[in-house]
Amino acid sequence: MAQNFNLNPAIESVIAELEIQRKKIASTQIKGWGLIVLGAACFIIGCILSAIIVAILGFAIFIPGAILLYRIGDDTKIYKNRFKQEVVGAALKSVDQSLTFEPHNGISELEFVNSQLFSTTPDRYHTEDLISGKHEKTSFCFAEVHAEYKTETRTKSGRQVHWHDILKGIIFIADFNKNFNGTTVVRPKDFGSSLGAWFSKNVYAFGDKDVVELENDYFNKNFVTHSTDQVEARYILTPAMMEKISALNDKSAYCVSLSFINSSVYIAFPLDSNYFEPPVFKTLLKPNLLDEDMNVLNFMFGIIKELDLNTRIWTKQ
Amino acid sequence: MIIVAAIAIAVLLFGIGIYNSLISKKNQVANAFSAIDVMLKKRFDLLPNLVETVKQYMQYEGDTLTKITELRGKALGNNVSESDKLALDSQIGTAVKGLMVSVENYPDLKANQNFLNLQSTWTESEEQIAAARRNYNATVTTYNNAVMMFPGNMFAGMLGYQTVPVLETAAAERENVSAKELFNS
Repeated sequence: MAQNFNLNPAIESVIAELEIQRKKIASTQIKGWGLIVLGAACFIIGCILSAIIVAILGFAIFIPGAILLYRIGDDTKIYKNRFKQEVVGAALKSVDQSLTFEPHNGISELEFVNSQLFSTTPDRYHTEDLISGKHEKTSFCFAEVHAEYKTETRTKSGRQVHWHDILKGIIFIADFNKNFNGTTVVRPKDFGSSLGAWFSKNVYAFGDKDVVELENDYFNKNFVTHSTDQVEARYILTPAMMEKISALNDKSAYCVSLSFINSSVYIAFPLDSNYFEPPVFKTLLKPNLLDEDMNVLNFMFGIIKELDLNTRIWTKQ
Repeated sequence: MIIVAAIAIAVLLFGIGIYNSLISKKNQVANAFSAIDVMLKKRFDLLPNLVETVKQYMQYEGDTLTKITELRGKALGNNVSESDKLALDSQIGTAVKGLMVSVENYPDLKANQNFLNLQSTWTESEEQIAAARRNYNATVTTYNNAVMMFPGNMFAGMLGYQTVPVLETAAAERENVSAKELFNS
């Protein structure tokens, strides 16, 4: 849903102010980085050619560049903060009045781990841009999450740490429309999980005991389901729900993971971009400024309808 | 010699795994049916309340209410086989479904909070039973595959294990009935 939010008078005046700030930040950053690169180049050449004056000159150019970048850092933070609060925040309200935006909050690491969406515990965790709201009867929230784990390898010069993504994307949480007590997790199918499922089915002594064999072949092709309660898993994952999840997955760039726990549904969407961030080197005055952010928002908002979470014909209201 | 011993141990362990797997699958079938039984009991327990609530409003549905009460009595009776119990549940389901459709003619009943709660609980129990039946069929299919396929069939023959029929779905149930549609009808 493309919508020109710059036409909204409340947003328009803020964007005009922010555009002036952006230009200042962009030009200062260009100057700062220019001086740093030039200074560094002079310093290195001076050192190579043993030309002390050139090296000192390079150092003298480098320092003001670094100072410029340091001083514009605070302005950049204020600029980003104002954009998120006043532009993105206002744009969200135009989609639904119940939506709130907290740029500095997110899904806590504890909740991420407890959701059981991923079997790996993160060693480094960052979350931001929490959006929450209520669509008819369903409360929901989502936030950007970057969770990583590390591995260490021994090299000649010592240990080297490598960071690997567990999830870089969005975690979506919504109140589920049915009551349940156990935990059901739907994860993308990979070689390890397929092997575990095969052993569970064929050899009792090995494999995952909690794998749920569902009837939908297309769903089984993409996902492996684990649950603490086989009947409850099927109560949640009805034939209709499996089709809805498959349809949702088909719309996503990468395979999603879901968990049903504590009366809520958790969905992890791996993504390539960082959303709800203002541009620094591109103008704010373009009409499609918020298109990508709003597409993400509408997609998340649409999940409630897609999964039919507002249908409350069971005992849970 | 060591290699031969290792192969023998591996074959033995694999055999034990297959044997245990068969026993476990057989037990899982019985367990899966008891899950259906629990759900049926829960659903049958709802009926007296439902009948009592609607009786006050539905003057012209006396026959249906009597039929539901009778069917419940039969289902909860002694010496009712598993298949009979499922057949009786199917009949109760059809009768209650008809009752829910008739509710449209009784606006006071439609507004009754107790009835609305019962209606939600009934819908919930429908889906729970459907889930339990799907679980039973999945368990039976896994068990049947183990009994019929090599190498499980060798052990199954020795243990006297035979295939178990899956639960048939009634033609009316096979249609993807939406509880929402039922409420709005």
